[in-house]
Amino acid sequence: MLEIAVHITQVLLALGAAGAVYRVYKGPSVLDRVISLDVMLIIVASMMIVDMVVNDHQDFILFVVVTAVIGFLGAVAIARYVVVRSPEEVAEETAAQDPFPEPPTSPVLPGVPGENEPEAPHDPVSTPAMPGIDDEEDESTSWFSALTRSGFTPRPLDENDAAEEEAVDSDPAESDSTAPDSTAPDSTAADPTAPKKEEDRDV
Amino acid sequence: MFESLDLDLVLDALASVLLVIGGLMSLAAGIGLVRLPDLHSRMHAATKPQVLGLLSLLLAAAITWRAWEWVPIVILAWGLQLLTAPVSAHVVGRSGYRTKHMRRDLLTHDELASAVERISKDQPPERR
Repeated sequence: MLEIAVHITQVLLALGAAGAVYRVYKGPSVLDRVISLDVMLIIVASMMIVDMVVNDHQDFILFVVVTAVIGFLGAVAIARYVVVRSPEEVAEETAAQDPFPEPPTSPVLPGVPGENEPEAPHDPVSTPAMPGIDDEEDESTSWFSALTRSGFTPRPLDENDAAEEEAVDSDPAESDSTAPDSTAPDSTAADPTAPKKEEDRDV
Repeated sequence: MFESLDLDLVLDALASVLLVIGGLMSLAAGIGLVRLPDLHSRMHAATKPQVLGLLSLLLAAAITWRAWEWVPIVILAWGLQLLTAPVSAHVVGRSGYRTKHMRRDLLTHDELASAVERISKDQPPERR
């Protein structure tokens, strides 16, 4: 009975690995490939567990322990250096309404960036960049500024925060300009377009 | 004699069921990676063999070994996976949101949009 279950399990693991390989081949972004490779690593560890069950040994248990750390480090290290796109590409994407543009077959050489453009490479998907080196901004806020360059106009954060906290805590009539933005935080669950009070600042 | 043989049979059956469950989890991950439409839903499918599939396979291994001294290592392997899987999923999902590798038309509610909108109140929100 255990042998039959082992055979079934090996077939199922092979099918799962085939799906992950398909996604690695097809995946439009590098992040899809990262999670697919994570799944493939787990499937390899699962095959080692199945082999340990069949042959009744414990030789591969150390790899199963190390697998968690390897997958974690790989995913974090790759996802750390995924590039924030330049505003031209974001504008093109919003104009075309195509959320999954095909990666360019020949990599576009980045031109000379102007003084207002971010120094990001033009291939948004497959080129790793070091945003902390070319950019003199802080890395944790550079994605906000990239979004801002793509059409947003930010305001000073502390004034905004103070107004919002005041509006949420006390009655909304006190805050003059931000009152229609921060009234009734309960109704925002029903209406996704309404702005709601911030709850996830460290994003 | 009969009692121990019965116990062996029961434990083997339990291990077989757990093995097949672990295989089904990885099959579900493969199907989800192929079929689901965007990055964040694929991440939802990809975490199935990481936690539940690995748990059932490790339980099956620990049952078939019938040795208590491997149980702490099995717990270590699963606990390490359980600790690191949310962190890597968080980082991958965050960078997927930042680089806009997602389909906004499939979302029912975007909770992070309020934080982005907070810095862009002067603009009309046509770029959400």
